[in-house]
Amino acid sequence: MVHMKSCVHCDEIAISALFNEDDVEKLQAFCCYGCLTVYNIIHQKGLESYYDIKKQSGLYKRRSPVEIKSSQFQFLDDPEFLAEYSYLSSYGEKTMEFYLEGIHCLACLWLIEKLPEFLSTVISSKLDLERSVATVVLKENGKFSEVGREFNNLGYRPHPLRKNQDAASLKVKEERLALIRIGVAGAAAGNIMIYAVSLYGGAEDTFAQLFNSLTVAFAVPVFTFSAFPFYQNAWNALKNKTLSIDIPISLALIVGGVMGVYNLANGIPENYFDSLTTLVFLLLMSRYFLQKIQEKGLSAQDLHFFYQSESVLKADELNPSEFKEIHPKYIKVNDLLKIRPGEFIPADGLVITGSSNLNNSLLTGESLPVKVSVGQKVFSGTQNIDHDLVIKAEKTQEETRLGSILKNVENGWAHRSHIVDLTSKVSKYFTLAVFVLSIILFVYLYQAGDTKFALEQAITLLIVTCPCALALATPLTFTRALSKASEQGIIIKSDEVIEKMAKIKNIFLDKTGTITHGKLQITDFRVLQEPIVRIEDVIFNLEKNSQHPVAIALREYVKPANCRTFIVADHLEILGKGVSGTIENNFYEINRDGVFENSIKIATFLIEDTVRSDSKKALKDIHQHGINVQVLSGDNSAAVVKIAAAINLPTSNALSNLSPEEKSQLIKSTPFSMMVGDGANDAIALTSADVGVAVLGAMDISLRAADVYLTTPGLAPVEKLITLSEETMKVIHRNLVLSLAYNSLSVTAAFMGLINPLVAAIIMPLSSLTVLISTVVGTKKLRSLWKS
Amino acid sequence: MEVIVVLLPLALLLGAFFIFAFIWSARKGQYDDLETPRFRMLLDDQKISKSTPTSIKDGK
Repeated sequence: MVHMKSCVHCDEIAISALFNEDDVEKLQAFCCYGCLTVYNIIHQKGLESYYDIKKQSGLYKRRSPVEIKSSQFQFLDDPEFLAEYSYLSSYGEKTMEFYLEGIHCLACLWLIEKLPEFLSTVISSKLDLERSVATVVLKENGKFSEVGREFNNLGYRPHPLRKNQDAASLKVKEERLALIRIGVAGAAAGNIMIYAVSLYGGAEDTFAQLFNSLTVAFAVPVFTFSAFPFYQNAWNALKNKTLSIDIPISLALIVGGVMGVYNLANGIPENYFDSLTTLVFLLLMSRYFLQKIQEKGLSAQDLHFFYQSESVLKADELNPSEFKEIHPKYIKVNDLLKIRPGEFIPADGLVITGSSNLNNSLLTGESLPVKVSVGQKVFSGTQNIDHDLVIKAEKTQEETRLGSILKNVENGWAHRSHIVDLTSKVSKYFTLAVFVLSIILFVYLYQAGDTKFALEQAITLLIVTCPCALALATPLTFTRALSKASEQGIIIKSDEVIEKMAKIKNIFLDKTGTITHGKLQITDFRVLQEPIVRIEDVIFNLEKNSQHPVAIALREYVKPANCRTFIVADHLEILGKGVSGTIENNFYEINRDGVFENSIKIATFLIEDTVRSDSKKALKDIHQHGINVQVLSGDNSAAVVKIAAAINLPTSNALSNLSPEEKSQLIKSTPFSMMVGDGANDAIALTSADVGVAVLGAMDISLRAADVYLTTPGLAPVEKLITLSEETMKVIHRNLVLSLAYNSLSVTAAFMGLINPLVAAIIMPLSSLTVLISTVVGTKKLRSLWKS
Repeated sequence: MEVIVVLLPLALLLGAFFIFAFIWSARKGQYDDLETPRFRMLLDDQKISKSTPTSIKDGK
């Protein structure tokens, strides 16, 4: 009967489709009012080409139905807010950046950049698709609240981004400089190769001298400007008495550079500039790619800025019944704030009027809603579920419970132990070995009689044994691993994580939202007596408008698409009790004991936060890696024991009633640990673990605390992550062996006096090529592993 | 081999030209966003049709 159509606006299957009133033939189905509204607005503005463009272009990102929240965005015009969020040009033009929720395809780009055509105060509107950030420039008289409303009406919820002029422009400058360094190195290396080939081909006399001086001329900017980051890293490493692969690289570059210039001055047409400049070019590239892919993950860290940017209603000081929108940043102590259903409470405070259920799960881990009424305390970070509340702010920002957790998280990050990565560790022995070998070679040849030849060969050894292959392969391996991970919806913030992950021995899991769905579901529904009105219809009509989690769970259970609408008389919802009403002259009541018809119990139901279907298998897979799994929860022990049983975990491994600090302590005392969680109550634990993983739907604060963020639900990605790390480290180890083998080969050749620039020009790229192939093959295998 | 007297400076000039062109474009920020421009170029520059608020019905 139900005809399945997909939503015209968002392509989602419309289960109970909505239609425009004048669309009598029901041609265009919509999945929700959000999409319907946006569709009509787009048409009113004459922007219907949006749908043509959308049809022609593949989807850029997965999209979801529009959820329109009513907001007037008045806070965008506050002078105090503008000072912190917008740039002012000398002509009086104002610029603000917005993160837009729901950007997904080419058509969005078209729509956003059409803004100046239907809002006359907008000078330009540019969208960065990758970051979903729109940059809007307004005329002097323009209002950002208008822009905010337009974006919202089009179905893209805007979140203004705080300007961070210094840091942002510094980063842009650095990135451009890095690119120029690569460009210069590449161009110089290419040109040097032309002249080097002529020299190898047997150019003589004047030509040899000319070509040689040209290679030196091209090499100078590479050795000074392009290679500067290597010297800088090497110097910093030496100063801090740490290790870095940049030390032997810098050494080879400096020695090679000096030798080349010395040879030029003495008329010897011989240098290693072709190999060394190519090396600089390739190394800079591989590092650039790694940095780019890490930045992609890091931008998830910026999430915190816009999650905070939901506006909040503040009562006017003179007329407390009037409310205006302000940005939560500007809440002051004793402000009266109105919290609507669905909103997060932005400050710790006291309830002044109203009573409602709060969802504390993100702050404490409790899965059931908690009722609050006048005079009770509420905490920042909890979500209001069903009724309007007015609260008086007592603590704001850093002083709130959430703020103190945030501070702890930041401290945790600052005091995080960094591991010395494997390649750096190896490079210590490596540098030492090369030095010793060079000295032995020098002494050996010196005794044979030729001092000049001895020095030359010793220096050559230093150059050709530069661990370039290794330095090149490691970042590329990590780049491949990180991009493979992000294909699978796993965002890793730094390459260090992979190395740490491969050593993990203990995994700690949060319960709510990680092992379970994090929302209530009906698990056992029993009809005791057939009612007069169909029971599904009773439940649907009574719970139709309630936002209480139990009501939502019941509604989901009865499937609204299959329900008939009845008129409910005396419809009543009593907070903390249940709902009641009269349908067709029968009195129905739903409360925690069940469903009642004319005061006779007709049905019972069990409601709980259920375990995700894939949790059990994922845990079994994780276990096979030889990793110990434990559950840490802030919830009561009965709930935790039940979940542990459902996932086949011994009860001794399931700990309950833990405060965030206790979780953190426990993790700190366990070496090689990983924490998987979502709520603010997990945030400190996430930073305490060697590796912190935030799951889908995690709170902004946990995203900041975590090293890894999963964008697909459930625990299966965690197992993938472990496999990925193990396989990646295998590739790294193999590359290590390969490049050491090449270096032993070149050391042997140097001892036999076989090394000259031509041989180096063959051996050095060849070793790099080998490890590159090894990397590509290794990561390919990884992909097939995941497919199975 | 006298031709090299012409070719060599020419090659060097060409190389230098492209290096400076690259540096200039990088400094101007032409490589800052590598994602969006490839999509933007596919979009036509047509003006929006403001006069058709009734087109909700025709389903095109």
